Amino acid sequence: MAFVVIMPKQGQSVESCIITEWNKKKGDPVKKGEILFAYETDKASFEEEAAVDGTLLDLFYETGDEVPVLTNVCVIGAPGEPTDAFRPGGTKAETIEVEAKLETIGNKETAETKVNSPISQVPGSGAISPRAKNLAEKEGILLDGLTGSGPGGRIIEQDVKAVINSHPKTTPLAKMIAGEEQLQPTSTGTGLGGSVKAKDLTPPNPIYANDFEIKKLSNMRKLIAKAMHQSLQNSAQLTHHLGADARRMLELRRKVKKANDNGYPVNITLNDMVCFAVVKALRKFPQANAHFLGDSVKYFSKIHLGIAVDTDRGLMVPVIRNADDLSIQGLSNQMREIAASCRKGAINPELLSSEAASFTVSNLGNYGVEMFTPVINLPQVGILGVNTIIPRPKDLGDGAYGFVPYIGLSLSYDHQALDGGEATRFLKQIATEIENLEFEL
Amino acid sequence: MPKVQFIDPSVARQAGEITFNPIPVNQYAKTVAEEKANFSNDDFLRIYHDMVVIREFETMLNLIKTTGEYSAIPYDHPGPAHLSAGQEAAAVGMAYTLTVDDFIFGSHRSHGEILAKGLSAIQKLNDTDLLAIMESFFNGTVLNVVKKDFIGTTKELGRRFLIYGTLAEIFARETGFNKGLGGSMHAFFTPFGVYPNNAIVGGSGDISVGAALYKKINRKPGLVVANIGDASMACGPVWEGLSFASMDQFNELWEGDMKGGLPVIFNVMNNQYGMGGQTCGETMGYGKVARIGAGVNPEQMHSESVDGYNPLAVIDAYRRKRQLIDEKKGPILLEILTYRYSGHSPSDASSYRSKEEIEAWQAQDSIASFGKSLVDAKVTDQNTLDTVWADIKQIMVEMLKLSINDEVSPRMDIRQRPEQIGEMIFSNQSVDKMEDRTPEVNHPMAENPRVIQISKKERFAFDADGKPFSKMKQYQLRDGIFDAIVDRFYKDPTLVAYGEENRDWGGAFAVYRGLTEALPYHRLFNSPISEASIVGTAIGYAMCGGRVIPEIMYCDFLGRCGDEVFNQLPKWQAMSGNMLKMPVVMRVSVGSKYGAQHSQDWTSLVAHIPGLKVVFPVTPYDAKGLMNSALQGTDPVIFFESQRVYDIGEQFHKGGVPEGYYEIPFGEPDVKREGKDVTILTIGATLYRALDAAKILEEKYGLSAEVIDARSLVPFNYEKVVASVKKTGRIIVSGDATSRGSFLNDLARNITELAFDYLDAPPVVVGSRNWITPAYELEEAFFPQPEWFIDAIHEKIVPLKGHVSGQNFSDLEQIRRAKLGV
Repeated sequence: MAFVVIMPKQGQSVESCIITEWNKKKGDPVKKGEILFAYETDKASFEEEAAVDGTLLDLFYETGDEVPVLTNVCVIGAPGEPTDAFRPGGTKAETIEVEAKLETIGNKETAETKVNSPISQVPGSGAISPRAKNLAEKEGILLDGLTGSGPGGRIIEQDVKAVINSHPKTTPLAKMIAGEEQLQPTSTGTGLGGSVKAKDLTPPNPIYANDFEIKKLSNMRKLIAKAMHQSLQNSAQLTHHLGADARRMLELRRKVKKANDNGYPVNITLNDMVCFAVVKALRKFPQANAHFLGDSVKYFSKIHLGIAVDTDRGLMVPVIRNADDLSIQGLSNQMREIAASCRKGAINPELLSSEAASFTVSNLGNYGVEMFTPVINLPQVGILGVNTIIPRPKDLGDGAYGFVPYIGLSLSYDHQALDGGEATRFLKQIATEIENLEFEL
Repeated sequence: MPKVQFIDPSVARQAGEITFNPIPVNQYAKTVAEEKANFSNDDFLRIYHDMVVIREFETMLNLIKTTGEYSAIPYDHPGPAHLSAGQEAAAVGMAYTLTVDDFIFGSHRSHGEILAKGLSAIQKLNDTDLLAIMESFFNGTVLNVVKKDFIGTTKELGRRFLIYGTLAEIFARETGFNKGLGGSMHAFFTPFGVYPNNAIVGGSGDISVGAALYKKINRKPGLVVANIGDASMACGPVWEGLSFASMDQFNELWEGDMKGGLPVIFNVMNNQYGMGGQTCGETMGYGKVARIGAGVNPEQMHSESVDGYNPLAVIDAYRRKRQLIDEKKGPILLEILTYRYSGHSPSDASSYRSKEEIEAWQAQDSIASFGKSLVDAKVTDQNTLDTVWADIKQIMVEMLKLSINDEVSPRMDIRQRPEQIGEMIFSNQSVDKMEDRTPEVNHPMAENPRVIQISKKERFAFDADGKPFSKMKQYQLRDGIFDAIVDRFYKDPTLVAYGEENRDWGGAFAVYRGLTEALPYHRLFNSPISEASIVGTAIGYAMCGGRVIPEIMYCDFLGRCGDEVFNQLPKWQAMSGNMLKMPVVMRVSVGSKYGAQHSQDWTSLVAHIPGLKVVFPVTPYDAKGLMNSALQGTDPVIFFESQRVYDIGEQFHKGGVPEGYYEIPFGEPDVKREGKDVTILTIGATLYRALDAAKILEEKYGLSAEVIDARSLVPFNYEKVVASVKKTGRIIVSGDATSRGSFLNDLARNITELAFDYLDAPPVVVGSRNWITPAYELEEAFFPQPEWFIDAIHEKIVPLKGHVSGQNFSDLEQIRRAKLGV
C-alpha cells in the first residue's frame, strides 16, 4: 500500500514551502525515521522524516521547487506500485499549459523560455552551442555566470535570448563595443526610451576582472530584503537616541551572578532587564504598543514582544507572547529558549511573523555598537535599539562630576503613528524604568 | 503464370525419364588442305597474323612487367596485366567469323579477344567506314597519334589504331580507348563490336544476355558472345544469365517475329585454371564445361567442347553455331579448350602446376603448330611467316614508344582539371527516346483501362473542406509511378520493363496494373526469380542503347544483385570515358510488416556507391515527377518506393498531381511543412511519422517544426536544408534505415559542416535500431516513431518541460549501444 508524503503545513499563514534538499532519490529504500527531504518556509527550515519503511517510488518535485502545503511530495511503497494517481497537478497543470500557449501567440521567445525551462540543470558545464555563442557575440551578451538550459547544462539560444529580453535596448554600437571589450550595459541607458548607448557601458571590474562570484539569494534573504525595503518605503520612520543611567542595572546584574554562583537557576541578563523595562514602559504608553494600518491603528491590550535574534541564516524576530504577564525570570527563560530554537531553525513560523509582535527590541550592545537606527518591522509602530554601555561624565551634585555608566537607547518610530513628543516621552519612560528597576531573586 | 499455359496434372504426373544427347568434344578433324575450299591463302595467313599480334602484345607486356623493358625500351607499368599467351587460337577462332555488328563481352583476361575482334572488324569494314570510325572517335584523338608520319593502307592504319588504343588504355593514357579510365581489365572499343571486359569473374555472364536481349527486342543485326572463363561457371550471376537466356517464354509466349531464342553464345575460354585453382579435378565437378549445357534446357544449349588450340576448329564451330543463332535457337554454350602459359598475373609463380605441364602445352603451341601446318600444306613458307613476326614486332615497338611518350600520350591532367573524372560519373543527358521509331503498343494510351480508371480519380487527397476522399478515390502513389512509366512506353520504343511478377500480376504492388494490356510480351515480361540476371541484363540492354526498368521486388533482395548494382551499373559510364550511357531506372520496393528479410531500407548501400542516382519519393506528385526525370535521363537511377505508402494520396501539392507531363529535378529536397523552431529532414516514408511528431511538438510543447522530405539522396542539394537550419538552429535527420553507417549520418555530417555556426545543438540522427527488423507487431520498437522525435529533441536538443522519454537518447546509452554493437 503506497504511503503518500505531503508537504506539512507549518503554521497558519504558510501557504507553500521550498524543498531545499532531497536526501533520498527515486528508487531508494527508506526506513521509518530517515530524513526524506529538507524544506524551508519564509524564515525557518525543517526536515521531513519517513513515517513508514519502503521504497521511495516517485518524487513529484525537485530541489528548489516551491510546493504548496498539503500537496503530495513523494510516495513510499513497494516497488512496482503505481504512483501516477498521486501525482499532483490536474487542473493546475492544465492552467499552466494554457498560459504557455497564450504566450506562444504573443511572444514566442518568452513562451519558449518558460515552457522549456529545464527539468534538471547541470550548472556550469560551460558548453555553449555555436548558435548561442554567435548570438551572444552579436548582441554583446556576457555568458559568464549564465546557466544553460540545454542538455547537460549547455547554453543554448533560448538562454541568450532570455538575457537579451531582460536587458534594456542597446544601440548597435554599444552591442559591438560590449562584445569586443567585455563590457556590460547598465540597467537603463541614456538613449531614447532608456536604450543603452556606448557611453553607458561599464566594465565588470576595470582592474580585477571577474574577481567576484554571483550567488542566488536564499529564500530567507529574499524575504528579509523585501521586508526591510518595504519598511523604509512605506513608513515615516526616524530615530531618537537617549541614554539611561545603568548603575542600577549593573548592580542587579552583579547580584544575579552572585546568586547564580549560589545555585540560583535563572541567569537574568542586561538584555532581559532592558526588555522587562520596555514591557513596563509599554504598559504606560499603549500608543507605542500598536500596529499602524494606514487608515486605522490597532492598539494591543497585551504586550507581544519581538526579539531580534542573529542566526547563521540571517536575522529572525521571534515573538514572546503576553510578555506583560511574565515576571523577569519568566521573560528571561522564554527569551533564551526562543533564541535557541531560532538558531536551530526549529522555531514555529507563527512566532516569526512581524504581525505577531506588538513591539520589537533589537540589542546590539554586546557588539559594542554605540548608536544605530533600527528598522521597524511593519506594521509595528516602533522598535527599540539597545546599545552598549559607555561611561559618561555626570553631575553628581555639589559641582562634583564623575563618570557614570550609561546604556544607549535608540527608538525608531513611525511618525505616521506617533509624534516626536510622544516618542520622546516613551523613550524617557524606558530610561526611567531601567534606572529604577526592581526585582527579587 | 500465363493463363494460356495449362499445367495438366495428368501430364505432369506421368512417368518418364529425362534423356540427354551426346555432347561433342573435339570433333573437328579437318586438315588445312581440306579447309582450302573455305579459306584463301590470305585468310590462312591472316589467322596466323592475328594470333601473332596477340602473342607479341602479351609477350611485350609480360617483359615490361617482369623485366621492366621490351626491345631495350624501359617502362614501368604498375597496373594489372592478366595475360593470355597460349590462348591465341581460341581468341582468333572466336572472332574470325564475327561481323562488326556482333558484340563480344570479356573478362579480366581479354587483351587477346579485343585484338582478335578488332582485327576481324578492321578486315570486314570498308575503308571509308573504318576511317570514319577512327576519325570520329574522341574527335580523332587516338587516330592523330598513330597516323602521324605513317604511310600505308587504311587497314594498316586500323591495326596501328587498335594496338595503340588498347595499349594506351592499359597504360592509363588519355589517348586510350577509354581515356585511360578502364585499364587492362576493362578496355573495350564498341565501334568494333568490342564491349566491356569485366574484372569481376563471370561479370559478363548476365550483362551479355542483356545485350542479346537488346538486339532481339530492337531487331538489331548480330549476335553476342560472352567470353567468360572456366572458373566463372561456379558464379551465381553466370547461372542466372544462363537461366534468363534460356527462358521458355521466348519460344512459348513472345509473339510474331519476337518468337525464338536469344542470340547469345556463352563462350567459355577453358584455360584450365581459375587463378590458381584447377577447375577440372580440383575446384569444379563438371569434368567438361560443355556438360553444363545439358542441364539448362532441352536443347542442351547446343553445347559443344571445341579444341581451342586449333583456330580452324573454333572457326568451324562458330560457323555452325551462327547458323543456329540465325534460326533463333540460342542460347549456345561453347567450351573452347585452351591453356595459358603465363601465370594468372606476372607475379604468379605458377606454384600450382608443374613445369612439365607448361612445357607439354608449349610443345603443341597453337601458333607454331598452325604455322607448321600452313607450311606443310604449302599455303605459305617459313620466310613469309618470319616476315609476319618481324613486321608485328616492329609495330609493337612503334606503338609502345608512342603509348609511353608522355607528350603524345598524356595522362588525364588531374591537376589542371581536377574534376575531370567527376564529370564522367554521370552523363546527365535529357533524352525523350533512345531511338526514333514508333513504339510497339497494343492500343492507344487513352483506351487503356488503367489510364481510364486513373483519369476518374481525385488528384488531391482532400476536398474543398479539407476532408480526405476515400482511398479508392484518391490518385495514389502507385498511380503516379504508373503514369510516368506508361507515358514513356508510348514515347520511347526501346523501353522495356521486367522483373518478378511484372506481367499479368501487374507487379507485386500493382504499379503495373494495366500495362499488360498495353504492351506486347517483349516490352513487359516476367523474369526468373533471379535478381542478378534482372539487373545484369538491364545493364547490357542499356549499354547497347536501350532504356530499361528492371524491378527488384523487395529492397532486401539487393544483396542478390550486389555485384550488378555495386560494380557494374554505376561504373560503366565513367569506365568507358563516357562512351556508354546507362539509362536504367531500377525500381526497388522497400517493405514493411514482413520481418527481418523483407523490411529493410537499404538506400544507404546504394547511396554509398559512386555512379548511381538515388531517389525515394513518398508522395504521388513527387513519384510521378521524379519517375519522369529518371526516364528522361541517361543515368542509372535507383528508384525506391515504400510499401507503406503505395496507396497514399497527394497531401501537399496544391491543385493535386498534374495530368500532364512534368519533371521534378533530382537532388532537390522539398519542404512539406514550414516551421521555425526545429527542422526535421526525412528520407522515405518516415516523412509521415515526422509530420505526426511535428503535430505533437506544436500542440504539446509549442514548438513549430519544419519538415523537409529529402526526396533524393544522390544527388542532393544542401542549400534548402542549410537555409532551414539557419532559421531553426536545430535539426533531426530521420529515415527507416538502421542508423549505424546509414546515409542519415552522411546528411548529419554535411549539415554540421555547412551550418555549424548556426547550430544550437548537434544534428541528431533518428534511425532504426541496429537490429533485425522484428515482426510487424513489434515494429514500433524498431522503426522511428513520432514519439522518438520528441524524445530526441528532449534529450539532445532542448529539454521539454514535463516530457518523459520513451526512447533513451542519452549519451551514455549511445555509448553503451555502440559498445555492444547494437
